[in-house]
Formats: sequence, structure tokens, C-alpha cells
Amino acid sequence: MSLKENIWGYIFIAPWIIGFLGLTLGPLLFSLVTSFTDYNVTSQMNFTGFDNYKRMFTMDPLFWTSLYNTVYFVVFSVPLTTAGAVIVAMLLNQKMKGIKIFRTIYYLPAVLSGVAVYFLWMQLLSPSTGLVNTVLAWFGIDGPAWLFEPEWTKPALVMMKMWSVGGGMLLYLAVMQGVPKAMYEAAELDGAGSIRKFFHITLPMITPIIFFDMVTSTIGAFQIFQEAYVMTDSGEGGPSNSLLFYNLHMWNNAFEIFNMGYASAMAWVLFIIVMILTFLHFKLSKKWVYYESGDQK
Amino acid sequence: MKKWLLIVCAGLLAVLSACSSGSADNTNAEGKVELDFWTFWGSETRRPMIEKLIEDFNNSQDEIVVKHTYVPWGDIWTKNLAAIAAGDPPDVIVNDIRTVKIRASNNQVEDMSKWVDDDLKDSFYPHLWDAVTYKDKAYALPFTTDTRMLFYNKDAFREAGLDPEKPPRTWEELKEYSDKLTVKNADGGYEQVGYYPNWGNFTTHDWMINADDGKGLMEGGEPTINTPAKKEAIQWMYDWKQELGSEAVQNMKAEFGNEQQDPFISGKVAMWAEIGTFYKQLEEFGGDLDYGVATMPAYNEDTKPWSTGGGFVMEIPKGAKNPEASMKFIKYLTDVEAQTYWGENNFDNIANKEATKQITENLDGKGAEIFQKSMESLEYTYLSITPPEYPEYENLVNPLIDDALNGKISVEEALDQAQKDVENSEQ
Amino acid sequence: MIGSKKKRITKKTLIYLILIGGSLIILSPVWWMIATSLKTPQEIAQYPPSFWPDSFRFSNYLEAWQTAPFTRWTLNTLLISGLSTIGSVFANAFIAYGFAVIKFKGKNLLFGIVMATMLIPGFVTLVPQYIIFAKIGWVNTYLPLIVPSFLGSAFFIFLIRQFMRTIPKDMVEAAKMDGANHFQIWWRIMLPQIKPALITVAIFSFNGSWNDLLGPLLYLNDENLYTLQIGLQTFKGTVSTQWNYLMAMSTTVLLPIILLFFYFQRYFIEGSNLTGGQKF
Repeated sequence: MSLKENIWGYIFIAPWIIGFLGLTLGPLLFSLVTSFTDYNVTSQMNFTGFDNYKRMFTMDPLFWTSLYNTVYFVVFSVPLTTAGAVIVAMLLNQKMKGIKIFRTIYYLPAVLSGVAVYFLWMQLLSPSTGLVNTVLAWFGIDGPAWLFEPEWTKPALVMMKMWSVGGGMLLYLAVMQGVPKAMYEAAELDGAGSIRKFFHITLPMITPIIFFDMVTSTIGAFQIFQEAYVMTDSGEGGPSNSLLFYNLHMWNNAFEIFNMGYASAMAWVLFIIVMILTFLHFKLSKKWVYYESGDQK
Repeated sequence: MKKWLLIVCAGLLAVLSACSSGSADNTNAEGKVELDFWTFWGSETRRPMIEKLIEDFNNSQDEIVVKHTYVPWGDIWTKNLAAIAAGDPPDVIVNDIRTVKIRASNNQVEDMSKWVDDDLKDSFYPHLWDAVTYKDKAYALPFTTDTRMLFYNKDAFREAGLDPEKPPRTWEELKEYSDKLTVKNADGGYEQVGYYPNWGNFTTHDWMINADDGKGLMEGGEPTINTPAKKEAIQWMYDWKQELGSEAVQNMKAEFGNEQQDPFISGKVAMWAEIGTFYKQLEEFGGDLDYGVATMPAYNEDTKPWSTGGGFVMEIPKGAKNPEASMKFIKYLTDVEAQTYWGENNFDNIANKEATKQITENLDGKGAEIFQKSMESLEYTYLSITPPEYPEYENLVNPLIDDALNGKISVEEALDQAQKDVENSEQ
Repeated sequence: MIGSKKKRITKKTLIYLILIGGSLIILSPVWWMIATSLKTPQEIAQYPPSFWPDSFRFSNYLEAWQTAPFTRWTLNTLLISGLSTIGSVFANAFIAYGFAVIKFKGKNLLFGIVMATMLIPGFVTLVPQYIIFAKIGWVNTYLPLIVPSFLGSAFFIFLIRQFMRTIPKDMVEAAKMDGANHFQIWWRIMLPQIKPALITVAIFSFNGSWNDLLGPLLYLNDENLYTLQIGLQTFKGTVSTQWNYLMAMSTTVLLPIILLFFYFQRYFIEGSNLTGGQKF
């Protein structure tokens, strides 16, 4: 590690350092400080020690509900969307007629955003006329009233997330372009079939991106907000609070009742939870992520 | 109050951000005061109306110029909050009437008391005035309000052998009529449902208030959730749901939930609770639907036909540069002329009593009939004000009522638990 | 040989069938959107909803466009999205190179901080961040929406770093031997290698900026500066929503991104085969 390398390193990351010091660090510290106060955004900020944290764990039943709902969502959505994205990318990484059109179609849901999408889903998930239940009925399954039965609201949201695996797919498609053709050709000469080629060549080569996808989608899933905010009547949490996610509860505290101190405390508790998980992800990654560049950190 | 903490944090932010904002007082080149007015009225129908009112105001005097900025619904208040925190809020903003006290208690709005006299106060409906005051000071002026009424399908009444001029007046009649109006089709589904109390714009909380003779879930700042009448209201809804079949009820609620199809217009439901502006939709999409409108049925012969409502206010965010000019504009917006214009064109119920009287004189036909009814309904309209001590009570109560209606716990348990949870959440 | 050809054909057919099936699932909500955009308000209010519009009212598109200054808002959105995409691609690729290739003191700690900034929900930093931008006089300009893109984002830094680490190290080492400095290696060797990744970042970043509602909403006060996503909100009224217009404009807003995606895909084919030990 020479001095020159050190200087080069800091030159390259300089833009980030400027952004971090100028725009991010202040607000982060500010939110940490306010988590120990009764800050209400506009006028008061009294030091209250660990009161916010105490209240969260001992006196706020909605905190536990929201944590449970969020963990439920993370546990189901992250593996399913990751696997879904890899499979779709595999299918779309072919030389075939019309493949560009298929790729565009599969990416489409990732582009759709905003309120319109959620209303479309309400239509699709509608129990008797919605498409989802119509299709289920073909197989003799009597579909539930998805967004209106507390047991089915979260699976419905996981399904929505599955629908838009196009974003993840794009990442895998990109990394699959880097897998040298020669490796496949060599394997074919050895008589390897598609499945063997996938597990022995493609999969190891794309592990850095699988890792990236899992880490970021875990972080993202913990912060699920907009879906629940729009699909329930302006953030009320859905039937029996089954869609009251962590960030929704935090939002309500911060911007509905102006309890920003409490919201900040919630944010930092979430920070710690997700940080531990991310740390574990990084530790475990050494066992299964393969870097062509050699160093395994 | 430890101010040093505020100062430390403010300093932290200032150091990080090379302070250089040169905010001037908002006067323009001609020496007029410029006011920034934020509303969420951006639609094709409402925008021209608010802009006409602004234009009239700008032309009526030469000291103040108001500029309208559309900010989308919901997000408008997040933006407002950030702007107040940064010390650069708009001059006037439209806000929700039920939460004025919360904002006042958090010091987000300017106190208007010094510009308010008894005449001004008396020009508004008293329940609206209550909503805009906090600790005897006024923090906003009411602009619009609304009240839920029962719209009913006269053709369906005739087919069921009911008198289309006699809408149900009590719970008992409501149920009786609904039974007669409910039609099943060959495969056991519903061709038409008379009524179900948890659909439309009048649901659990509203019926609880209706049952309790106009007593809300919060009275005098304290939770009053598990009263016998309120328990009875939920029980009544539960029984009704069982009778219709809980799956059918759920399915239909889901169908109506996407806000596109209208079950009343399409003849799926014969009686439907909505606010007065529903008239506009009926005019546009209703075709030749023959319908009537009535005040909500009362709990029994001895109680009043209680309805519920909400509305919007005009307020001056804390830290606005020209509160006096802002107040002038707000007074104009809530005075007879502007209010009459707004009410006639949007069919909102308005806050000004005199203007309401004028509108009834100006309107004719179906519109007049509905407006007249809404005035009757306003006499017994309860406005659910969120008390500063229990800002999240709805989030605590609603899931328990859901559980009770889904049969997971008894109504008794649900409301007792809700009462307890809300009491524990006092801030 | 004949047998394997047959096998290949069945395999292809199978893949096509799966892809078509999947496309139908994906396109069905999109169809609802398009169908609604062509209906009359009366037809939308009907129950049960019709799958196929009674009459195709293409005029909805024109009418929706004319309800507000959408032409202007489109240009605004293009400007913001275009600039922040450029910023995103270059800044993040630059920063990521530092983290992926160069060894310097404090690297792991700093990268840990990069990751940590992703973990805090944005709501709690929203107000202080707004105050910073207000204090430096950037409110009601495009700067808060564009400048941060030039300073890197944790998500993209992490992403590009991962891609760079799939590139064999000997290429960098060999270039160093030839006397190239890091800047030259970054520009001439690294960037061409990770073209698919850069395209991905460009697509994501454009997409994100194009669809962003909260950012423009917070920082812009002048309606002349507004973006399309704010424009879409005008169709949602307090009492009723103009569904046909909302869906028509939502469909229109989609088109540029779809075209962009379709066009940039060619780099996904060209990008392949580069890693196979060629010279620089």
C-alpha cells in the first residue's frame, strides 16, 4: 500500500466523500440526536434520554405489529424475487428471435410506478372479477379476497413484488454478458447439458451480483412503504393492521402526528437490525461468492 | 425546555451548509405584497375555480398579489412541514379541519386570534369553529365542510314495493327496507343488495357515533369507545354481515374498493351513503338513474339522525412572512361572495352560513333538493376531531374493530381492548 | 446429430411457451391500464368492468395532454433525468473503481459507511436535508435533484463495484506494468469491460429519476418547473379521479423509458465476449 495508491484511492472516492460530508452526514447525525428527544419537526426538542426506545419496546403494540409484518415480507419476498430474477434472466439470455421484445416486456413492470400501478393491482386482485382469481378458478382453486383478508394481504404484496422482477433480471442479464463464451463452448465439447452449464459456469460467475441483489433487496424489503401506503386508505395499515409495515408506522409517527423523535428512534433500531443482517451477508459471502478479480473481501 | 440542543443541531446544519439564503420580504417590484397560496386543487374542474377567486381578489385591491401553487394531495402537507422547518413556508395553505388542533399544539400554524372578532366567528357553523380553535385561540378559518347522506335508488324502491318518497328513518326501517331490496340471482349470488353498513362513505366509526346519539370516540379529549351504544353498533354490523354472508360482503367490498366502478350507479346496491358532491358524479355518469336523498337513519325514534363530516380550512403556516396580508386573503375566501361561488360550482358544503343560505336560493332542480337535504343533515353532523393527546387513536381502534367484524374476537372484547389501548397511548 | 437437433427444437419451443406465458401475466395489468385509458368515464364506472373498451377513445390522450402544460413538464423531466443519469453513470463508476481496484488506507471502513448510508430510512433525514438545500438557496431549482447524482449513491457504487470485481485482476496489473495510471486504466480498460453494467446503471438511474415524485415535489415551488410525475397527480381529484386521463398519461409517460430500454439492449449483445482474454 504505497502513498501513491492511497492518494489515487482518495481521488477516486472524493466525489462520494464530498456528498457524504455535505449532504448526508449532517442529517444522519441530526436524526441520531433527535432520537433521544421529543423533537416535533417545528418547535420543540427536549432531551428525553432513552424514553423513545423504552416506549418502542414496552408500550407501543403497533411497533411489534409493524416489525412482524415487515419481517414476514422480507422472509418471503427476498428469496422469491432473487430466484425469480435469476430464472427469468436465464430464459432471456438466449439468441432467439424476438428476444429483445421479450426482454422489454419483462422489464416493463420495473418501469411502471406510482399510484396507477397499485390501482391496477387492486383491480387484478379483486376477488370475483379480478384476473388472478379467474385464473385460479381454472384450476379449481377458490381464490381469497386478497387485499381484504388479513391473512392474504402480505402474500398479495409478495406476489406484486414477484411481478416486477424485471429490475433484478436486468442486473443478471448484464452480468451474464461477461461470462466468456469460450467457457460454454469448452463445456459443450465435454458434453455438458444446459443444467450442468448453469450450475458450473453461469452460477459461479454471477454470484457477485446475486450477493448484491440479496443485500440490496433485503435492505429494500425492510423499507417497504409505498405499496402499503397507497393500497391501504392513506396509510391506515390495512385490514387488522396486516399491512402496517415498519416504515409506514414510522411515517405516521413522523408526518401524521409529528413525533419525529420517536420516528428517528425507530429508524435507528431498524438501522441496527439491517446492519447486523448486512454484516452477516458480507461474512457469509466469503463462502459462496466468487470474484474473478481474486481478492475475496 | 432545553434550547441548547436545538441550537447545537441548528449549528450543525448551518456549518454543513454554508449559510447563504437571502430571504427578502415578499414584496414585488410594484411594491405589492406577494402571497404564495398552496392548494391541492389541480384538477381540470377545481383549478379554474380557485384561480378565478384569486384573480377576483387580486383585482379587487392593489396591495396584495396572490400566486397559486398546486401541490398534490397528501404530499402537500409533507412539503409544508419541511418548509416550515426550514423557515420558508407558503403564506396560505389549505389543510384538513380535523387536525387543526394537532398542528396548533405542535406550533405549526400562526395564531389568528387578533384578527378575529365575534362577527367573523358567528359567520361559521359552530361545530366548525370549535374545530379550528385550540386553547381558546383561532388557528384557521373554516372553508368547506361535508356531511354524509343516504342516496337511494327510487326505481329499486318501486320494484320492491316501497314508497320512493319515504326513505328509511331508523335503523329498524333501514334493515327492513334493505331486506326487501336485496335480490338474489339463480346461482346464489347477489343481484342487488339493499344496504350494508360498512360500505360506502359511512362505516364503523360513523355508525358508532350515530348509535351513541352524536357522541364521538373522543369526548372532551378523552376516549369514549366502549360505550354500550357503540358496542351495539358494531354488533349490529356483525350480525348484518353474517346474514349476508361474510364472504359475499368481503368480495363486494373488494370490488368497490378500486374506486372505479360505482356500485350505486351500476345498480348493485340500492342505498348508499355519500357526501353531497356525489351529486356531481351522478350527474355525469348516472344516466337516467332515478334517485332520492335522505339524512342518515337514526338509531331509534328518540335519537337524532346523526351524520359525520370533515372539511378543509385555510391557515397561515408558522413563520409566514406577511400574516396580516395572508389573513386578508383568507377572510376574503371565507366570506359570503367567494363562498357562494365555490359552493355553487363545486357543490361542496361551505363553512359560511350566510353563503349557504344564498346558494339554496340560487340553485334549482335536483341540485337544490340535495343541497337542501345537506343543510338539514348538517344540523346533526359530528366532526371527528383528532385530539392532540391521542393522535393515533384510529390506528389502535380500527384493527380491533376489523377483528370483531371478522369474528376473531367478540365485540365486547374488541371495544374494551380498544378503549384500554387508546388510554395507554396518551401523549 | 438429428436427435440433438430435435432436442434443441423442443427446448426452444418450450422456452418460447414459458416466455409467452410469462408475458401474458406481465401484460395483463398493462392491458387494464391501456383499456382504461381508452374508455369513457361512463364505461369505467360500469360494473362489472369491461375487459375490452366499447369504443376506443384515442382522443383521451390528446385531451389529457391538454389539461395542463404537459409539453413543458416533459421537457423539464427530460432535462432532470438526462443530467442526473449522466452524473450517476460517471460518478458512480469513478467512485466504485476506487473501492473495487485501488488499495488504500481506510477503504474497508469507508465502504462500510457507504453501505450504512443505505440502511437509514429516508424519512428521518428528509427534513434536515431539506433545510440544508433551503439554506444554500437551492430550493425551487433543479440542483437538489441533479447535483447529488454527481456525488454518487451507495446502491450504484456497490453495484458497479461488484461488476468490477468480476473482471480478472491481471488485466489491471498488466496495464500498470505498461505504465498506465489509474485514471487511464479506469477509462480505457475498466469502463469498456463493464459496459453492460454501465448501461444498467443508466437505465435504473433514468428510470428512478423519471419516476421520482417526492424529490421534485419537495424542492420545486414554481409550477413551470414541475415534472411529469407531479402532472400525473392532477388527475387524482379529492372527490373523484379522472381514470381515463390518468391511465392515458401514465401510458404516455411509460413510452420514453420503454424506447430507451429497447434501444440500449444492443449493448447487452455487444458486451459479451469481451472478457475472453483480448488485448487492450
